[in-house]
Amino acid sequence: METKDQRFTIVGCENTDKEAIVRPTITYAQDAWRRLRKNPIAMGSLVVLILLAVMAIFGPTLCGQDFTAQSILNKNKLPSAEHWFGTDSLGRDLFARTCIGARVSLLVALCCTLVQIVVGSIYGGVMAYFGGKVDAFMMRVIEVLMSLPYLLVVLIVMLVLGNSIFGLLVALCVTSWCNTARAVRGVVLQLKSSEYVMAARTLGASPARIIRKHLLPNTLSILILNTATSIPNYIFQESTLSFLGMGLQPPDTSLGVLISLGQAAMEFYPTQLVFPALVLVSIVLSFNLLGDGLRDALDPKLRK
Amino acid sequence: MTETILEIKDLRVSYDTYAGEVQSVRGISFDVKKGETVAIVGESGCGKSVTAKSIMQLIAKPGRIKEGSSIVFDGRNVLKMSKKELRAYRGSDCAMIFQDALTSLDPTMRVGKQIAEVLTIHGKCPKKEAAEKAVDLLRRVGIPNAELRAKEYPHQFSGGMRQRAMIATALAGDPKLLIADEPTTALDVTIQAQIIDLMKELQQKTGAAIVLITHDLGVVADIADRICVMYSGKIVERGASADIFYRPKHPYTVSLLKAVPRLDLTNKQTLATIDGTPPDLLAPPAGCPFSTRCKYCMPVCKEEMPGATAFGNGHEASCWLHDPRAPKVEGLFCETKEACR
Amino acid sequence: MLKYTVRRFLEMLLTLFIIASATFFLLEAVPGDPLLERVERLPESVAQNMYHKYGLDKPTIERYFITMKGMLKGDFGESVRMPGYDIHQLLKETLAPSARLGIQSILVGVTLGLLLGIVAAMFKGTWLDYIIVFFSVLLISVPTLIFGLLLQKYVAGEWGLFPIIGWPKGADLWFGGWKYTVLPTLSGCFSYVATYSRLLKTSMLDVINQDYVLAARAKGLSEPQIVRRHILRNAFIPIITVLPMSVAFALTGSFFIEKIYSIPGFGRYFIESVQARDLSIVLGQTVLMAAVYVAVVFLVDILYTVVDPRIRVGGKQ
Repeated sequence: METKDQRFTIVGCENTDKEAIVRPTITYAQDAWRRLRKNPIAMGSLVVLILLAVMAIFGPTLCGQDFTAQSILNKNKLPSAEHWFGTDSLGRDLFARTCIGARVSLLVALCCTLVQIVVGSIYGGVMAYFGGKVDAFMMRVIEVLMSLPYLLVVLIVMLVLGNSIFGLLVALCVTSWCNTARAVRGVVLQLKSSEYVMAARTLGASPARIIRKHLLPNTLSILILNTATSIPNYIFQESTLSFLGMGLQPPDTSLGVLISLGQAAMEFYPTQLVFPALVLVSIVLSFNLLGDGLRDALDPKLRK
Repeated sequence: MTETILEIKDLRVSYDTYAGEVQSVRGISFDVKKGETVAIVGESGCGKSVTAKSIMQLIAKPGRIKEGSSIVFDGRNVLKMSKKELRAYRGSDCAMIFQDALTSLDPTMRVGKQIAEVLTIHGKCPKKEAAEKAVDLLRRVGIPNAELRAKEYPHQFSGGMRQRAMIATALAGDPKLLIADEPTTALDVTIQAQIIDLMKELQQKTGAAIVLITHDLGVVADIADRICVMYSGKIVERGASADIFYRPKHPYTVSLLKAVPRLDLTNKQTLATIDGTPPDLLAPPAGCPFSTRCKYCMPVCKEEMPGATAFGNGHEASCWLHDPRAPKVEGLFCETKEACR
Repeated sequence: MLKYTVRRFLEMLLTLFIIASATFFLLEAVPGDPLLERVERLPESVAQNMYHKYGLDKPTIERYFITMKGMLKGDFGESVRMPGYDIHQLLKETLAPSARLGIQSILVGVTLGLLLGIVAAMFKGTWLDYIIVFFSVLLISVPTLIFGLLLQKYVAGEWGLFPIIGWPKGADLWFGGWKYTVLPTLSGCFSYVATYSRLLKTSMLDVINQDYVLAARAKGLSEPQIVRRHILRNAFIPIITVLPMSVAFALTGSFFIEKIYSIPGFGRYFIESVQARDLSIVLGQTVLMAAVYVAVVFLVDILYTVVDPRIRVGGKQ
């Protein structure tokens, strides 16, 4: 027996790590971030957005020009070392003005998005939670709001509240939350009847846990997407309203105001339209592309 | 006397994922003779479905069949076929029955048309004739009111009906080889038996060979001529049906057989389970993949993959216990029919 | 099914009524006097007659009932801003150009968008896909307004390829004067290209992963056959439900394009009328637009059951 090969003795499997999981576990967020990082278009947009944000915040200090300083000698200048984007019809530095305009537009968009998400989530959550008659009534409200022509509502709000930032905020938000509310309602309703929530409940999960573990992750991806698509939309609408003379008015400035001023000067000084328009398009484009990437990244079905 | 219709040699399939290369199938070989039924048995994730898809050349990105694998159907290498040859091969030489008939039938197309489609695209007959043949096929797989049923959509069929329609689709091209990927898993037990009976009956009529993929040994017993037991992307034991059931030579097969519910067990006896989970194919073990769950594991099992030991009549098992140097384990491998009970 | 249709129809009427009321009171809330400009230089008695003529001397609630009663008979009242005009006359003159512009934009935009969507889905992950995604997103990232202005300035102005403004009239109203319509149609179609290419791509990618596509491949269908016979059929279901919405919006005109290219369309008057508090015109336009919208939603519901056989049976049971 001594000569027996030691390798051929039965040791069994009792003390082996049979349940060990070799593969590293990653959370949903980590996985989404990993996939987003692999998407060159989305990452490029993120970089562009960060650059634009830096420009909107620090741009005016960086170029050392005051955005309100007028100068009759420097009217309608083409871009130069001193005035990076040239000057407008009052001799004001266009780069500084574009930065400020972008700042205002971004702020307006962010505020509106925040309002939309908060109001939409609460409204949608309440609808789905109570259901029945409450749900039917609240749904009808949304239906009416959504069938009213968007321009009518916005125009009337602006007429009533006047051309101020506050008026603009209200006008932009007044119907926009409807879609968020509908989306949130859909998710919550689906979740309420889903089998995994029922399973969680049978296993004794508390409502807090169900909200934390199931409701939040499921709505979060929708809300993130909503945010990513809403921001460019608001920037768009702000510029549109300003172009109509219904949004902000000079001396207040925003990308929309700049574009509408640029349009007046377009015939002879196209740069005054092109630069603000270019910044607007870059912001909107980056947000849209990022939103696209996020949609792919947040969809667990697309996971490999 | 028997001619080989399908011969698979050293098939290796890998999936490239973010975490690395997952080796789903790690070098398996087997053959199928004309008119016989070969079952591939194993638990979830052991690579059986991947094997089935490989035979049809349906492995899609991120999966790939590795160099050196060969799948020869009737003398032709499937892996080297051109797109055109592949199209002619799929559906008419070799057809597949999928696990979930509901999702495998197009919800927007009438059932009859989906069956007729196989005939028309292979140019076997014109549209009108194909439609008649489709009705005929539905009748052959035991669907009542076939004329009316052919004009219905898949969601109007019950689960068992859908699987019958699926089989009719597979039979439409009159294939020499039928691959059934878990054809009964999504069905009720009573319907399962019907479907297996139907397949047996149709096989007798058409003489097609069947590769049956399943995790359910109970299903296999009834229909298979030969069985391959797969574990972690490898075939650990193979042999004639009777050999596998009554004289298993691999501890995994033994455990599997013990895990099949049987009517002759008394109340006191609990159904055996296999503890643990199969190894992660991202980093397959160097030795025997079953070593982490095997009660008879030896140090050598972790170091080296055992070679196949032959027991005659094509019965082979890959286990170190059959090595002359290994200790003899009493009562593990039943020598007689009675010993197994 | 009939019961359902009738209920939906009544709901539609209710929604329309609420919308008309909402529009009325919203306009009432706007400060200012719609007649102020016209009566400023008129003698007191004439001005009073004016107010009387439009019913503006009555209290709001009374005017509300008068307006609603008139609406039931299809009478929205005379325009305050354009004397002698009412909504019917306006519709007669402006709906055709708006509808033609909308139809042309949709035809061009949706066709192009769907084609690009198919290509992008079939070549997913390749440079072709990335280029299509990038350009379709670029198209929706540039405001219609800026596109319109740039096209007008360069293509029409500097290169002189097309007329700068204008729209075919008279005999050419529907078919003819194509050169006038090229740039407006182009400006209008971009958003459809972007929307539909992305929609179809997403929908196709959903379908491509379905088991029945694998099953079709196993049957021996070629890739083009699979796309044509199985993928597109299923991928078009969401498209068909969105398309009517686009058509509804397109028919009622695009304000910017009509303004930039001076097209005598429906959308142009809307903003001007709201700003002038021209109740009869605004109410008429709003009710029309809302009616089209609500009707289309209704239509889509019915269409859905036709396209998707799964729902058809669900409705019957």
